[in-house]
Amino acid sequence: MSNTLGTEPVDGPQSQGTPRAGRAAPSARPAPRPAAPRRRRGRAKLRFEIAVLSGPAVLVFLAFVIFPVALAAFYGFYRWHGYGPPTDWVGLRNYRLILTDPAFQQVLWHTGVILVLSLAVQGPLAIGLALLLNQRIRGRSAIRILIFVPYVVSEVIVGTGWSLMLQSNGALNDLLAHVGLGFLRADWLADPDLAIWTLLGIISWKYIGFAVILMLAGLQSIPEELSEAAQIDGASYWQIQRLVTLPLLGPTIRIWAFLSIIGSLQLFDLVYIIWGPYVAGTAGTSTMAIYMVGQGRNAGNYGYGSAIAVVMFLISLVVALLYQRFLLRRDLRGALTEGAS
Amino acid sequence: MIRKTRRAAAAAIALGVALAVTGCAGGGEEGGGSAGGKVTLTLWENAQPGAGAEYWKTAAAAYEALHPNTKVNIQTIQNEDLDGKLQTALNSGSAPDIFLQRGGGKMQAMVQAGQVQALELTDTDRANAGAAGIAGYTIDGKVYAMPVDTQPEGVYYSKDLFQQAGITAPPTTMGELQDAVAKLKAIGVAPIAVGAKDAWPAAHWYYNFVLRECGQDTLKKAAASLKFDDPCWTKAGEDLAAFLKTEPFQQGFLTTSSQQGAGSSAGLVANHKAGMELMGNWNPGVIASLTPDQEPLPDLGWFPFPAVPGGKGDPAAIMGGLDGFSLSKKAPKEALDFLRFLVTAEQQKAYAKAFVAIPVNQEAQAGVTEPYNVSALQAFNKAPYSVLFLDTEYGQNVGNAMNTAVVNLLAGKGGAADIAKDTNAAAAKG
Repeated sequence: MSNTLGTEPVDGPQSQGTPRAGRAAPSARPAPRPAAPRRRRGRAKLRFEIAVLSGPAVLVFLAFVIFPVALAAFYGFYRWHGYGPPTDWVGLRNYRLILTDPAFQQVLWHTGVILVLSLAVQGPLAIGLALLLNQRIRGRSAIRILIFVPYVVSEVIVGTGWSLMLQSNGALNDLLAHVGLGFLRADWLADPDLAIWTLLGIISWKYIGFAVILMLAGLQSIPEELSEAAQIDGASYWQIQRLVTLPLLGPTIRIWAFLSIIGSLQLFDLVYIIWGPYVAGTAGTSTMAIYMVGQGRNAGNYGYGSAIAVVMFLISLVVALLYQRFLLRRDLRGALTEGAS
Repeated sequence: MIRKTRRAAAAAIALGVALAVTGCAGGGEEGGGSAGGKVTLTLWENAQPGAGAEYWKTAAAAYEALHPNTKVNIQTIQNEDLDGKLQTALNSGSAPDIFLQRGGGKMQAMVQAGQVQALELTDTDRANAGAAGIAGYTIDGKVYAMPVDTQPEGVYYSKDLFQQAGITAPPTTMGELQDAVAKLKAIGVAPIAVGAKDAWPAAHWYYNFVLRECGQDTLKKAAASLKFDDPCWTKAGEDLAAFLKTEPFQQGFLTTSSQQGAGSSAGLVANHKAGMELMGNWNPGVIASLTPDQEPLPDLGWFPFPAVPGGKGDPAAIMGGLDGFSLSKKAPKEALDFLRFLVTAEQQKAYAKAFVAIPVNQEAQAGVTEPYNVSALQAFNKAPYSVLFLDTEYGQNVGNAMNTAVVNLLAGKGGAADIAKDTNAAAAKG
């Protein structure tokens, strides 16, 4: 193949400006040839280019995503303490244990609460902030940056910072005492009645910036003529937002909610850093991922932990598929038909 | 041009694959390779930065000076991270030649998986390391680790704070301990520091109540059967719950870690914010690394866990651990020689000084002068028997469940009976 290529006009870099880069561009050819072999060669070349360009990514994906998932599924069938290779095949026993494990039901419940409340708290707040920041107000960029900064800071720093501030002898309680609100002082992290709310507060603080940026981008893609037209027809500001802006923001909101749900299902680092795997359970902030690590690495029940990982994977997959099937279908179809036309 | 790109791409892929392959296999060669007569030994330990970490550097240098063909590569790994990393390394065949070993169920698991070497000890080695330490690392007549220090557990306290609070003598009974707690509260310091975020430091309170409530036979039986049905297990939990009612621990103890920074439980003792801490013999070293000037705390004292009225355990029995070092399966013979070097009197003296610990070597023990170590050593020598920390003794998954259940109890989320229940369940799950 390579020796024929040398004699041919190169349709590499030169023709790559067109959207059909890589495919044959017959009009530019000096001597027309029979169509069939040309196309075959073109297709082979295309395949080769796809292989070269996506190959490394596919390899990395196979090595660090697919292989570990398969390995977890394999370990999930063993009773294995982690020393030496697994030998004690127990079939579905680990999965049966998960179904009856009260601790797993508890973390499932925590995860569900975090998921629902994250959506309920962050969604309206982000939309409100985005509407506010979409107007020409003083210091708009400064406010945008302030809201976005926490999202950029790593979870480790956020977790360490908040846990220091929220300790029972930490800054927040000191502050409350100094401004005469000493009766509000509490054990924000360890009190089981409070801890989940503390966690939600930190999550919202951390991730709201991302939601606001998404919503702002969505708002900016809505043509202004629509609200101007509505204004001329006599609609009030709230009517415009409710009847024009929000429906058009729908695709953005649905995508954000999707990302938020997946994030909630896999929440790990913040909880691990602030509470650690042991206290998270008693404080009521433990998540599926925390329990998985706790059972796998800390307790040395690697088979059981792997089974939990598989269950977590299946839950995430089912939620993602259902969400795409029922809520994202319209948005995705729009995107796809647009691309094909 | 395309051919060039293609070749470059092919080269890139080949390089990527090569990197991935060597990346997977690379660790294997690191330890124990002996090319051209030169041997490099890797050793994993968990010393805090400071004198402890310094000791390892000096020891390695001293050994290298005696054995020019050997290089000792010391790697310090944070305590809570050590178990997981070690396990991964052992399984992937990239284990260090020498690594910290605490014995009990975990060592048993390593032995069963064929991941550690049995040590051929000479009479000199046995004399240096001491019979008690070696017994702690023996399974079926074979020794799987070289002990370096003994860690009798007890309560470390600040003599200055005790004096300020008007406590005249270290408590010997639970009643006296509660009295001391009240007096320390009165002078505005936390009576007892505990780092419950790491779970095990809180669990050690339960272990010591178990030590006092359960007889030696009960503990031994539980190690074999992993069943925790004797009522003494629940009784110990009730003791802890009753003690908790006196609010002996610092505020927010559930989210306090044990060894990291001034806000940790050891840090509170190091900075005179708390009067006492229940810990093993590594604690003076940890506290020393957390004092403002990183020097040992001058007024540190030690007393054994107080007697519990009516308990079946001997009131003089001691809970304790061992620090020692095992050799991984592929370690070269020079590694054993380095372990022998570690238990010589001179090295043991340096070790004891750096870690402010009690060495296993008798000659080095004679040089122990710190008052808390003298008290601990005396109590250890007087003890009719000593029991390994329960989470080490009963293995990782049982120990972990027990620790978690104790944290639950301290958080008010579980009762005393739940500890035995959860532990039994975990033993069945593993």
